[in-house]
Amino acid sequence: MTDETPKTPQKFDYKDIETLQRYINSQGKLYSAKRTGLSARQQRQLKRAVKYARTMALLPYSN
Amino acid sequence: MTDNQYIYQAMFLLDNGEVREQGFNAVREWVKSTLEKHGATVKVLRLWGERPLAYPIQGRARATYLLGYIQGTEQTVSAAKHEMYLLGPVFRHMFLKEDEIPAEELTLGIEEIKDEDIEVLDDTPVVEALFEDDGESEVDEEDDSEDEAPEEGAELSDEETKKTAEEGEGEAPAEAATATTETEEA
Repeated sequence: MTDETPKTPQKFDYKDIETLQRYINSQGKLYSAKRTGLSARQQRQLKRAVKYARTMALLPYSN
Repeated sequence: MTDNQYIYQAMFLLDNGEVREQGFNAVREWVKSTLEKHGATVKVLRLWGERPLAYPIQGRARATYLLGYIQGTEQTVSAAKHEMYLLGPVFRHMFLKEDEIPAEELTLGIEEIKDEDIEVLDDTPVVEALFEDDGESEVDEEDDSEDEAPEEGAELSDEETKKTAEEGEGEAPAEAATATTETEEA
């Protein structure tokens, strides 16, 4: 059996929309750290990347 | 602000109409010259993609994304941002400080792309599309209203109001009578 669960990236990039979309719900809201399972630092990086992506109209502010 | 040199990752959203009219290379040259005019050194400036926007911006539904890496001071970036805000085909931009330029980006550099190779789709303004839909729906409603009977709120003549009042009074006691018979049977 192969493990098909995608790995957590070392650094979140706002241009990597496919990765960021794994961490937001259908409304466009970011999941909590409890749900994402990320460390505090990773969660902050993720938050920043999602906000940059929203600014550049790569992700929606709300659906 | 200090005169320290920093490396910035920059992303620009280009108006598809301008890209179609002037050509991608001309628009990119404008961005490059604007950055260099204010003292920045452009290391990389390439097409990142042409894609739909996640939300409409000033009636635009699609945009051409331009990705670049530049070296310059904070004043340089501030002046370039100000000019792009006022003039040109760039309607949104973002500059982020980076530690270094990725090696794969440096190899791409300022790659030459023929204008024919870039497909810029028609960017129909969202606002106009909405107005078109409204116009059609209004026409349909008008046609329906002519065929249908007058609505409840519509004004009736005096004779019609009297008739409806009499009918209403006549029906109410009959319903009350049936209700009493049902209770007696139970």
